[in-house]
Amino acid sequence: MLGSRSIAILFSAMSLGPLFAAPDFEQDVAPILEAKCLFCHNAEQAKGDLILRSRSEALLHSDALVPGAANESGIITSILGPDPEMPKKADPLPPEEIEILRRWIDAGAEWPEVRKLVYNPTRDLNWWSLNPIQPGSAPDSTLLGESDNPVDAFLAARLEENGLTPMPEASPDTLLRRLSYDLTGLPPTPEEMDAFLADPDWDAAVDRLLSSPAFGEKFAQHWLDLVRYAETHGYDKDKPRPNAWPYRDYVIRSFNEDKPFARFVEEQVAGDQLFPGNPEGVVGLGFLAAGPWDFIGHWEVGEAKLDGRIAKHLDRDEMVQAVFSTFQSTTVGCAQCHHHKFDPIRMEDYYRLHAVFAAVDRADRVFSGLSPEDEKRKHELLTHINRLKSEQGQLDQERKRLLAARVSGIDRRIAELKEKHGSGLKPQYGFHSQISKHQDIAKWVQIDLGQRRGITEIRIMPAYDDYGGIGAGFGFPVRYRVEISDDPEFEQGVRLLHDATKKDQPSPGTRVQKMEGDGRPFRYLRVTATRLAERKKDYIFALGEIELLNEGGAENFALGASVTAKDSIESGVRWGKRNLVDGIFFRELSDEGALTELRTLQEKRIQIEKEMLPPETKRRLEEIGKEILALEKKRKAIPPGKQVYAAATQFARGGRFMATAGKPRPIHLLHRGDLRSPGERMTPGAPPLWESAPEVFFDNKEWNEAEARAELAHYLTHPENPLSWRTISNRLWQWTFGQPLVGTPNDFGRGGMSPSHPELLDFLAASLRDDPNQSLKSVLRLLFTSEAYRRASTHDEKNAAIDGSNRFLWRAHRRRLTAEEIRDSILLTSGKLNREMGGPSFQDFVIEKPQHSPHYQYHLHDPEDPETHRRTVYRFVVRSQPQPMLTTLDCADPAMSVPQRDESTTALQALTQWNHPFVEAMSRHLGQSMKSEGIEPGFRFLTGRPPTEAEKSILTEHLETEGPESLARVLFNLNAFVYVD
Amino acid sequence: MTDRRRFLGATAGSFTGLALGDLLARDGVLGGKLHHPPRAKRVVQLFMAGAASHVDTFDHKPLLKKKDGEDWDPGETVELFQSTPGATFASPWEFRPYGECGKQLSDIVAPLGDVVDDIAFVHNMVGKTGVHSQGTLLQTTGFSFPGFPSAGSWVSYALGSENENLPSFVVLPDHRGFASNGAKNWATAFLPAQHQGTVIRPGSDSPIADLFPPESDYITPENDRSGLSTLTKLNQLHAASRPGDDRLAARIRSYELAASMQLSATDALDVSREPTYIRDLYGLAPEGPGVDDTGAINEKAESEFFGRKCLVARRLLERGVRFVQVWSGNDNGFPRRNWDSHGDVKRDHEPLALGMARGAAALIQDLKQRGMLDETLILWTTEFGRMPCSQGSKGRDHNPFVFTNWMCGGGIQGGTYGESDEWGFKPQDRARYTTNYDIHATILHQLGIDHEGLTVRNNGIDRRLTDVHGHVLREMLG
Repeated sequence: MLGSRSIAILFSAMSLGPLFAAPDFEQDVAPILEAKCLFCHNAEQAKGDLILRSRSEALLHSDALVPGAANESGIITSILGPDPEMPKKADPLPPEEIEILRRWIDAGAEWPEVRKLVYNPTRDLNWWSLNPIQPGSAPDSTLLGESDNPVDAFLAARLEENGLTPMPEASPDTLLRRLSYDLTGLPPTPEEMDAFLADPDWDAAVDRLLSSPAFGEKFAQHWLDLVRYAETHGYDKDKPRPNAWPYRDYVIRSFNEDKPFARFVEEQVAGDQLFPGNPEGVVGLGFLAAGPWDFIGHWEVGEAKLDGRIAKHLDRDEMVQAVFSTFQSTTVGCAQCHHHKFDPIRMEDYYRLHAVFAAVDRADRVFSGLSPEDEKRKHELLTHINRLKSEQGQLDQERKRLLAARVSGIDRRIAELKEKHGSGLKPQYGFHSQISKHQDIAKWVQIDLGQRRGITEIRIMPAYDDYGGIGAGFGFPVRYRVEISDDPEFEQGVRLLHDATKKDQPSPGTRVQKMEGDGRPFRYLRVTATRLAERKKDYIFALGEIELLNEGGAENFALGASVTAKDSIESGVRWGKRNLVDGIFFRELSDEGALTELRTLQEKRIQIEKEMLPPETKRRLEEIGKEILALEKKRKAIPPGKQVYAAATQFARGGRFMATAGKPRPIHLLHRGDLRSPGERMTPGAPPLWESAPEVFFDNKEWNEAEARAELAHYLTHPENPLSWRTISNRLWQWTFGQPLVGTPNDFGRGGMSPSHPELLDFLAASLRDDPNQSLKSVLRLLFTSEAYRRASTHDEKNAAIDGSNRFLWRAHRRRLTAEEIRDSILLTSGKLNREMGGPSFQDFVIEKPQHSPHYQYHLHDPEDPETHRRTVYRFVVRSQPQPMLTTLDCADPAMSVPQRDESTTALQALTQWNHPFVEAMSRHLGQSMKSEGIEPGFRFLTGRPPTEAEKSILTEHLETEGPESLARVLFNLNAFVYVD
Repeated sequence: MTDRRRFLGATAGSFTGLALGDLLARDGVLGGKLHHPPRAKRVVQLFMAGAASHVDTFDHKPLLKKKDGEDWDPGETVELFQSTPGATFASPWEFRPYGECGKQLSDIVAPLGDVVDDIAFVHNMVGKTGVHSQGTLLQTTGFSFPGFPSAGSWVSYALGSENENLPSFVVLPDHRGFASNGAKNWATAFLPAQHQGTVIRPGSDSPIADLFPPESDYITPENDRSGLSTLTKLNQLHAASRPGDDRLAARIRSYELAASMQLSATDALDVSREPTYIRDLYGLAPEGPGVDDTGAINEKAESEFFGRKCLVARRLLERGVRFVQVWSGNDNGFPRRNWDSHGDVKRDHEPLALGMARGAAALIQDLKQRGMLDETLILWTTEFGRMPCSQGSKGRDHNPFVFTNWMCGGGIQGGTYGESDEWGFKPQDRARYTTNYDIHATILHQLGIDHEGLTVRNNGIDRRLTDVHGHVLREMLG
């Protein structure tokens, strides 16, 4: 490793040697060329038509390398000067390296022809963010007034150096409003404001708000932005994740409880392994799963195909990048295709990180409500079931392949018949019982013919409903009987026509169930289900139609008859008792002849299928089926427990998406990031970003996946890790002052920016790291109680001329409220905000077409729905159809890690804030309260201060001419509301 | 329903005559300093959601007809998205030559025959995977996973708007639903928010969200206008006591621009002012956007839907919008209303393609007769192609190995550039193919932008629309 010190030593050692001795190519020259030039001047890219792989290739270029004449060689002339042409987009070469190259060329550019160079970045750790943290003490400054806060001391030193004069303290009302928004995301209530103005005890106010539950809600939003949290998968279909929210609550709780920072990090990467038995350790893993997931790539395509493996690779890449941008402010993604150009991250490092996550997927997993024994048992059962299903899938694939070759003619004819005679599904489905939680409950439906009739044939048509993917035979009972009687109570004279109660019946599909009458007339016919049909974890009884035909089938006496049932769902046009006898039911084909042909073809197909299967395969498939059924029964007997969408290695198979049961997938280094060009197999590890950091986690080729994650977690929280502590300190600073100390919060590498106050950043990082409680609140308390935080945000020409961007914090930043703060404040000041914490998210949209690709229809949502009047952090975040109002107001895009919100000003924003139905509705409520209370309370709540005289007269005039609702709409659009300060 | 016209009159009254500054990033980041003289000023991206079949539209493969129903053997193992390869499947439609160039087009895209000499076909496009979401994102953003700006956002970011009263990047989605990835296909990601695509739904009750007040028992045109005036007065007082902060004035101005947008957008979307022969050219239905397609997908409805969007696109382009994205087809719901014809190519492709071809041909002819085609680049694209073999008996599975794009206008020369093999299975020359990066590089080039130079640093990496790839397709430049 070539640190600055070692270079200095090298240089002085060289200068002691013979002045004209040529540098050694292998030892001195090759490392420079490989680290600084080969990234572009390799054989593949050959930028500027120069290839520096071998001497002969270098000499092909007309003037890059002129042996014996360094001053005529492009290699030298392009790297000279204060702003050299080369290397592109990187720091100039240090003079000692230039000198080595110059003397090498002057001496004849000796370079053995067999020696071929490759791009080989040095592990150069000499960069501000990779140097060990220096826990210095606060400097002294004449600008430092009464404050004994070290934050002020660090800032004062830089203000003084730059000739800046800090602004005085802002007024108390301005300060409390600023503090409330920054710590809780909500404005102070008028009562809180009054109390503070009467007793402006700043430290007490900071403590009060830090311990308010709203603190966790506000800071969780910062964190959720960072970890790309949303509650749908994104990509195609964008299906919901109903169990994502426990992670959101976990983050809120962690901030409110002031969880030690290392613990917070470790839970999110390997909590299951490091804190076994503690639910927080599982819920924290919601972090790894929070990003987008390609449902189609995993579920429909699967890893047996290249496209499925690509989807899985991208999925892992997303996790790896999330960990490194969130906790390390480091970009590792470029090392997917080549060594990082600027930072000491090699391709091997990147693929070692893939190996860490080689066994995990994103899925629901239990975090509580299940005993350890049950959990273990459940895992074992799932592993067993998944293994069987996998075998079943392979046998089935083989079966389908054999079958496809023999039935394609039949299938073509079936398709033709259906196209020609298909009648499709009409909306009047039939009869549908109430939904039951239990399967073995008797339910009945009966027909009253009005008088006794002679019936020769009874036809029962199964129902059809795509709900739950069931389709044909929807709700048809597993066991049932058909009876007739003349007694409506079915107590006397009951005659059994058909008994299917002794054993489970296969689903009839769309087949009509026919039975004959017993030759004697009757008035009532009753169908009793004794074992109900499964719907979706619940049970029902449904039928499409019943026909009661006389001799020869000329008349259907049931048509329009009166129907009664034990219970029934009467919902809209689809389901209702009357639909059982309305003559409308689902049939595949409208033509009887075609239907017969269809049945024959279907039976033929089944026959072929039966004959084609080798007996041993058939037996094995049957065995597997039985075994799975038995295991599933055992699995279902175990209580479900509470679930969170998180990183998981155990879950029920869905489509082609299968759990690894903890067995890591093989990970190879991929040349150019291409799965078709695998290189060496990789084991878990991480980039060695500090001197003692491990490169690989395990010595052998076998490892436990959870242990690998635990190793990574320890890497992230290692006291010598120079990045973790700086990263979080920079974020805490940003969440307090509005601007980070390092302008690129997710990139502390050579492509990012340098800190404005490096010593201050290290002071904070060391304080947090060395605090036994690793308390984030302690750091925040230090920041919020500084004088710097309390400065006025007023403009000053003289200061602005020196530091227009306020990098040195001579004043406070005036920030705009975030999208969430605007929405929450509007609800709060309208008296509508529901402060209930936690639990499933509210949905401010209507879902249409949930079965396939859900449409999230925000415009159909009623803004008056009280369910949705909760804080915005509890909103159901849809990834691919983001909430339009909040998006326009710059809320974070959950497709990526968002370390800092944009603050744009657009005409569309004005339109939204002025015309959105939510603003219209809330204006009515605030207007109502202004009717009794006048203008001032509402104005004060929204802006933190009473109106001035000039404002008062404008407000009053509008109130009198246009009414309070219209005035409230104006207030919700004020700059005085939308900007803090 | 609130009477929009009333509001329009009122707002027009209150804001007419106000000076509108150049505050909202009217200039793009290039500030008019282009890399080289541009050939085009504006772009239209026509996107066929679900993956349009190249072998049934623009890429004529006589071999399929010859071998119809026979085993399909391309001489290598084929891994398909959903199915195992079926028999060779001839296109259900005839192909005929059109134009002076004699280009063979299928009957379902015949309307484009009238303008075929102006079109540059690329039949050797290749994708990365056969997954819709990835393929769609690749064509719209240049990356196959979310988190990157749309091509429209890049163009808006680079060039800004020619009309500050309209968004610079407009999206006209299929009214039946968003395609795969939804709004991610026009997201701004890490570029400033104003470069996000603005969704406009021509023909719907509220074509732009929140353009006008919602139905309300207290909002009237009078208090809407006076409310804005009260707001401005209060905001001016607030700003006056806080000098040195441009954002406060900018926000005041944003309300003025919003009012102007009410006027400009309403005018741009009002196709009723178009003469009958123009409405007919675009295939608009007499009953308007309410034309029925609930029972069966049909040509009349598809022509109305796509044609109306093309006509609105032209009106937007005329008014200075930089980039218009037009979608045909929605998500994979039921009944199918997109190009993902796994089950039945004939049923879905025929109406979709006829509607698309009519609208697209009308757009090209109309731009041409207005002298705008030279400056407007049209790109026709889709996530990938479809296989030459059958899936089931009447469908085709995904083909990411080769598909077709075409471009027209904006200095692009008509012709055929790049061929697929005799099956339409892979590029004819396996080593030479065209990618989305090449298409995007070419579009940026025609706009006067060096695709390698338009970068934004995000999380440590200089990102660009063409990632680290892309070559300008110089042979098709006029």
